[in-house]
Parts: sequence; C-alpha cells; structure tokens
Amino acid sequence: MDVERIKFERTGGFAGMRIATDLKFADLSDEQASRISELLDDLDFGELPEELLEESMPDQFTYVITVETDDWEHTVTTGDASAPEKMQELLHLLDRLARTKRKH
Amino acid sequence: MHKYSHINCFVPPHILKNIATKGTESQRSLAIDTIKVSARMSGQRQALAEFAAATFRVAVGGKDRIVYDARNGSSLPGTAVRREGEAAVSDVAVNEAYDGSGITYDLFNDMYQRNSIDGNGMRLDSTVHYRQGYDNAFWDGEQMVYGDGDEDLPASERLFNRFTAALDVIAHELTHGVTQFEAKLMYSQQPGALNESMSDVFGSLVKQYKLQQTAAEADWIIGQGLLTENVNGVGIRSMKAPGTAYDDPVLGKDPQPAHMKDYVNTISDNGGVHINSGIPNYAFYVTAVELGGYAWEKAGRIWYITLKDKLTTNSNFQDCANLTYSVAGELFGAGSIEQQAVQKGWLEAGLTVEGGGTTTPSDNGGCLEALLRLLGVAPVKRS
Ligand SMILES: [Zn+2]
Repeated sequence: MDVERIKFERTGGFAGMRIATDLKFADLSDEQASRISELLDDLDFGELPEELLEESMPDQFTYVITVETDDWEHTVTTGDASAPEKMQELLHLLDRLARTKRKH
Repeated sequence: MHKYSHINCFVPPHILKNIATKGTESQRSLAIDTIKVSARMSGQRQALAEFAAATFRVAVGGKDRIVYDARNGSSLPGTAVRREGEAAVSDVAVNEAYDGSGITYDLFNDMYQRNSIDGNGMRLDSTVHYRQGYDNAFWDGEQMVYGDGDEDLPASERLFNRFTAALDVIAHELTHGVTQFEAKLMYSQQPGALNESMSDVFGSLVKQYKLQQTAAEADWIIGQGLLTENVNGVGIRSMKAPGTAYDDPVLGKDPQPAHMKDYVNTISDNGGVHINSGIPNYAFYVTAVELGGYAWEKAGRIWYITLKDKLTTNSNFQDCANLTYSVAGELFGAGSIEQQAVQKGWLEAGLTVEGGGTTTPSDNGGCLEALLRLLGVAPVKRS
C-alpha cells in the first residue's frame, strides 16, 4: 500500500488542549515516512476496529488517526490506556509531529 | 470548668477533633470540653466514640505509597523505585509523586477523616516517566500516571514541564480516584465537568493546605509551574478567574467560562469537561473567599460531604448547587453564613439554588463561627 496522507488529532488530557496535524506523506522526511509505513503495516492499520477505546478515563488523551492510501481510507479512535502496545510508537511519532507543528 | 464550656450549639465533631488533636493547649482543652458537652447534650454517643478513636488511634493501614518508574515506556505500573517510608531518591519526579500523594493523603485524612482514595487505606500508586514527550497526567482507574512534558523537543520548543512539578496536579489525579469510589460522576458533559471540578477543588486545597494559605492568599491556579518559560501563562486553569490562565500565540487562549451564560457546547474532550469545569470551579472559589480563612475548613468540607454522600453518576451543575447548599445547611445551620456563601458562589457562576427556599437563621447559624472565633482560629470578619 502507498500511504498518501495521515490526519492526527489529540483531544482531552489534563489541560484539555486540542492538537492536530495533517501530514502529506510526500512532505515527510524519507526516514519518517518509511518508519510510519512500517508501523502501519505492522498494525495492519486498515483492518483495525474503528473504536479502540474503553470507557473514558479521567484526563487521558483521545486520539483520532485517519490514514489515506491509494486505495483505502480508515479512521481509528483510541486512548492512552486502550491503545495496543504495538501502536505506542506510532502515537508518539504522530504526537511529536503535532506538537512540533502546534499552531492556533 | 472552662468559661466557654457552656457553649451548647452543635459543632461538627470532626472540626472539634482537629482542634483537639492539633490545636494549642488551651484550644485543645476548650475543644475537648465542648465535644463532651455538645455530644452529651445531643445524646451523641457516636460523636464521643469517634472522637476517642480519632484522638488515640495510631494509623493502622494508613498512608501507603509506591512510586514506579515507567522508564519512558507505556506499560503500567513499571518498576517500583520508592516505597512508603523509604528515603528520597535522586530522581526529582519520583520524590514529587511520593511527597505530593502523601500530603494529599494528609488533607483527606486529617481534615475529612478519609483514609485514602477508597476510604479504606488503599495504597497510593504513582508512575512517573510515562512514555516520551508525554505532556499529561491521568488516573487510569487504579493509579496515577505522569509524563515528563515536552522533554523530547528542543528546549526552545518545549511548552510543558514534567507533570509532577505542580502539587495540585497530583492532588487532582488522586481526587479522581476518590470520585470514582464515591459519587462516580460519569466522565462526560456536566457530570464530567463536575468530576473535573472536584479534582481541581481538592487539587487547589491540598496546595493551600501545604502552604497554609487562606482563601484570600491562595493563587487558585491549577498547574502553576507546568508551563515553560516559552509560554505566556501562569498555569493551566484559574479557579479565581477562569479563562485567564494563559494567552499564548502557540497554545491559544484559556477557553474556560466562569458563568453558565458562557457554557461551551462541544463534543470534544468528552463534552468539554476541562472547559466547563470553570463554572463550578468559580462557584467554589467565590464561596471560599466569601467565607474567608482556610478554604479546606468550611467550603472544602461542604464540597467533600457533597461528593461523598450526595452527588451521583448523572448529577449536573444545578444538582451540585442544590446539594452543596443543603449540605451547608446540615453542617452549619439553615440560613447560616456558610449556606449563604454557597448560594452566592453558585449565583455568581449563573446558577440559582433551588429547593432550599428562604430560611431564617436558626440557633445553629453562625455557631461554629462563634466558637472558632473564641478559639482564635476563625478568620477575621470581612468588612
Ligand atoms: Zn482531571
């Protein structure tokens, strides 16, 4: 699969501040793009349930990740404690990109 | 016989207990006399029994803490690095989590006779160094979890420090545990915003308790010290002036309302639980300042009893206004200055207390105030 675009949104948390980023894959560094592709492959992202979310826990972040490839688009909503261990690196990479690009 | 021992109004025994156990020699003796007299007069054998227990009991199954280190991973709880009674370690976050959960335990235990999160000595577990670049703290249903802020970004881009840096954040998370065992407020919409507000209220009270600040002296800021010098802001929220904690080109402006007319309808953040909490936060602040003195003594007690005994899963702001008002009446007397202060607090946040009706001051009204003034621990009356 060829990833074209990833949208990431983080809401909630102790501070209740929303951050988001809309990444065109072509604009990422080769290193970032290949690592993110690997992680999405490992997760089989397109087959994940849309809601990877247990009940809302106080002050946890909620993450909404949308991946667009050349032939499908899929959105997954998850949270800190409910995200599978395999997803943690992807969450950190996307979260870091969103924090670096904070704009309001 | 002590000259004030004829005071025969009902004073909540827990307050007298605190004076009796912590006050000066003369305060102690007066408080003890009063407890005996008022308990005897009202046939409160229970009060006498509880008093004896509180005065002489050595905490059994009391404060018990463990701080864990997630070592930047996401599995909880991580590796235990400091247990109850162990000496401070070199990691400042570990010590902050240990000390912060300790003083939070102390406020609940000393002031409200609550033994830990569950009221039954539950161990206080905290994990620090959760993940990387984690600018947050949370309660996961069983324990407190803290991130290190934006430590993974270059110093010039960092917005958040480690989340254990603010004592009120630690107390905020621990209070989520208390709420889980008591009112069980649903974490969504108004019940969720009340859940958040209770955590901010006791978060701020723990900080005030540690600093021994009166309501007038306290800053009422939540998360003071969390924002780096790159941010234009004093903290995450202000209970005194919701909506003014930060105003920054990158973080934006603090979105909290202080009044119902500015209630924010949103689906984000579980229905804006961290936004609309500004409204009940402000009601508490106004109540506490109106009463003067230490906010944990009266306003805090009213809110604590309401959280413990009155609020339920679906309670909304109006319910909380009505219930704190009725609790103030039960604790301090119908029409008492305490009850009026609660009414005023909610009114300034845009909520009119219902169901209580207008009441005339009874013999109980102002009774506690009078006694505290005699003891020399009451706030100076505001002019
Ligand atoms: Zn919270």
